Amino acid sequence: MQRRLANVNGWTVSAAIIMILLFLPNITIVTGIFSPSNENWVHMKEFVLGSFIRTSLILISATAILTISIGLSLAWLITQYQFPLRGFLKWALILPLSIPPFIGAYTYHGIVNYTGVIQTTLRDQFDMVLNPAHFDIMNLPGAIFIYTMFLYPYVYTITRVFLSQQSASLIESARMLGKGPWRTFFQVVIPISRVSIIGGASLVVLEVLNDYGVVKYFGIQTFTTAIFQTWFGLGDIESSIKLAASLMGFVIFILVIEKVLRGRRQYSYSTTKVRPLPLIQLKGWKAGLVTTYGLMILSLGFFIPIAQLIDWMILTFGTIPMDEFLTYVKNSVLVAGISATAIIIFALIVGNFSRLVQGKVAKLLPKLSILGYSIPGAVIAVAVVTAFIALDRFLVPLYQMIGITTTLVLSVSLIMLISAYIIRFFAIGYNSIESGYDKIGTDFRDASRLLGVGVTKTFFKVDVPMLKGAIISGFILVFIDILKEIPLTLILRPFNFDTLSTKAFQYASDEKIMEASQASLLIVGISALAIVVFYKFLEKEPD
Amino acid sequence: MFISIQNVCFSYPNTGKPALDQFSMNIEKGEVISILGRSGSGKSTILRLLAGLEKPTEGSLTIQDEVLFDGNTFLQPEKRGIGMVFQDYALFPHMTVGENILFGLFQLKKSDKKKRLQEVLELVELQDYEKRYPHQLSGGQQQRVAIARAIAPNPHLILLDEPFSNLDAELQVKIRKDLREILKKANITSIFVTHDENDAHALADRIVKLKDGCIDLIGRPCDLIGIHPHPVPQVTPMIEERELMSV
Repeated sequence: MQRRLANVNGWTVSAAIIMILLFLPNITIVTGIFSPSNENWVHMKEFVLGSFIRTSLILISATAILTISIGLSLAWLITQYQFPLRGFLKWALILPLSIPPFIGAYTYHGIVNYTGVIQTTLRDQFDMVLNPAHFDIMNLPGAIFIYTMFLYPYVYTITRVFLSQQSASLIESARMLGKGPWRTFFQVVIPISRVSIIGGASLVVLEVLNDYGVVKYFGIQTFTTAIFQTWFGLGDIESSIKLAASLMGFVIFILVIEKVLRGRRQYSYSTTKVRPLPLIQLKGWKAGLVTTYGLMILSLGFFIPIAQLIDWMILTFGTIPMDEFLTYVKNSVLVAGISATAIIIFALIVGNFSRLVQGKVAKLLPKLSILGYSIPGAVIAVAVVTAFIALDRFLVPLYQMIGITTTLVLSVSLIMLISAYIIRFFAIGYNSIESGYDKIGTDFRDASRLLGVGVTKTFFKVDVPMLKGAIISGFILVFIDILKEIPLTLILRPFNFDTLSTKAFQYASDEKIMEASQASLLIVGISALAIVVFYKFLEKEPD
Repeated sequence: MFISIQNVCFSYPNTGKPALDQFSMNIEKGEVISILGRSGSGKSTILRLLAGLEKPTEGSLTIQDEVLFDGNTFLQPEKRGIGMVFQDYALFPHMTVGENILFGLFQLKKSDKKKRLQEVLELVELQDYEKRYPHQLSGGQQQRVAIARAIAPNPHLILLDEPFSNLDAELQVKIRKDLREILKKANITSIFVTHDENDAHALADRIVKLKDGCIDLIGRPCDLIGIHPHPVPQVTPMIEERELMSV
């Protein structure tokens, strides 16, 4: 061990502290399972837990199947064929990711309800009065539609990048061996992309399990809504911890399934020279069909809701006082900015630690601390509150010493919310920084040290400048995710503290759908801008 | 003795086999040593151990009577005064040629820094390239910058990891000659590892042949010519004929 930890000192200590702090709150959840059950929990276990699991299973499996069908088919068409608008669709198809599902949910509800544009137009222009029940999307299939339209880009992006890196010779060999395009797709493309398909789909599944906004708005009972109700409705923290623990168990079950499905097969190239696929030109009705398909998905996932939001914003502009609105913007930027900065600094320290040490344990620890991203926001919220209340109790003597009379200080402050963001989104920043470290390797660091420069100075003079790209992209990704976040912010924000997303959500929940549009559009605008910058300008065109 | 390496042993974590077993040798000042061996023979490991990038399980290294490592001491890489030229050069991409070379000269006064920079640029014949970035240079020029950077702080010893592997064949011959001249002109003790016998014979004062982490042969290039303790298996003509027939 002494040898393994050679060259490590302050870095090891700081990394260890960060990793423990990231992991600690989850332990409160695990210990919560063993606390004695109360009446509420016995009731829930007997009558409702089964239905939560059933509903969640239906939601995730249907959404996974649909996002895979749409994401994979689009990825294949874009990497294999040339057709009108291909260049535009290639990056534009990622845009639906900029619309948080809860914004998509209330926008679509607004479009199809009795006073919405569809029914009004049919009534006024065509004199058609249809049964409003046909337009009800506030149900399970409606939620599946919303999740699919706004989450399919996860599957699309990951599989497209994977397919575009495939050597043409693989696909061409299949062709030469007499397989047509359909059989090539099913017998070669799907099997080789299995890992990336499952990777994308599991992100979708985790997002669905994390979601609170859509299911709450549509009135669907799932784990996350139940955690909120038990806590705020019944005031029963113990039972909500138990619910959170059940949800965590469910997530672990999903992660195990993912691992099994991925299997040991990690396909890699036998040669380093990867020749990209030459595009096949589509002509006539086939080209038209493919373009229409792409545009249809893009319209459903982006243009239609955006058009509706813009329309509402024009109608309601000025009804929300500007200074009030600016406060939400300021709050959002403040918490997202502080949290993202902290995450990037922590990720740089943990990443450097993971690089400096050898050995399985040291490599495993950072992996554990990034579990936070798979754990739904509501669970983290419960964990963080429990931990902070305990911390406040512990610190009461100190508070009294400095003249504070209340017993709850940290647990009613922004620090709690920011800590929760850090736990939940650490993985996003860490992945970016880690891949940056991987890309630069250790030679530059070694070269610097052999020129007489110590570890810490090397970090600032060599590593940080070379990691600039990873730092910026990690920061932006985390920032946007926090901007859109709902469950954590709703539970943990201090009294009277609103962000763009909580305000949008509240307006929508109060059936002030139009008023929600302004904040929503700003969130979507910022996210979309970042996505465009990322995928259109930063990604080098492989073909 | 200028450099003394005694009984150095090392094995990578999670592998049972030692990567280096009881490696010992003495080196005179200004000598150019080549470590020759196939991949996996442990030749790059020696460089990493001498540089302090890995910690040996046993053994000692002394340069000019200063102990760099033994049972009690382990000097960190930045304290050793050993220069290294990496296989892919590891030139800092965000710094110019000049900044790369100045990187290790932080202890000198400003005027001395400038002087030293000009000296080494002259040595590697790259006087006009000070303001260029590494990606604006050819492979051979990048290598010379890497050598200049390693030599600039006046190290006791310079280590070169496969210095010719990234160059095309024609350039290799020229650079080999240049490199020997640079090393001799600067009178720097150096160790370079290679898998190419021609490199070793053309450049080195002494050659160490390494096999499975142990020294197989050691001697001057002229002494080693014609010695093949482990001949490379040859394909017999009979098999070739049979293969041809079956085609």
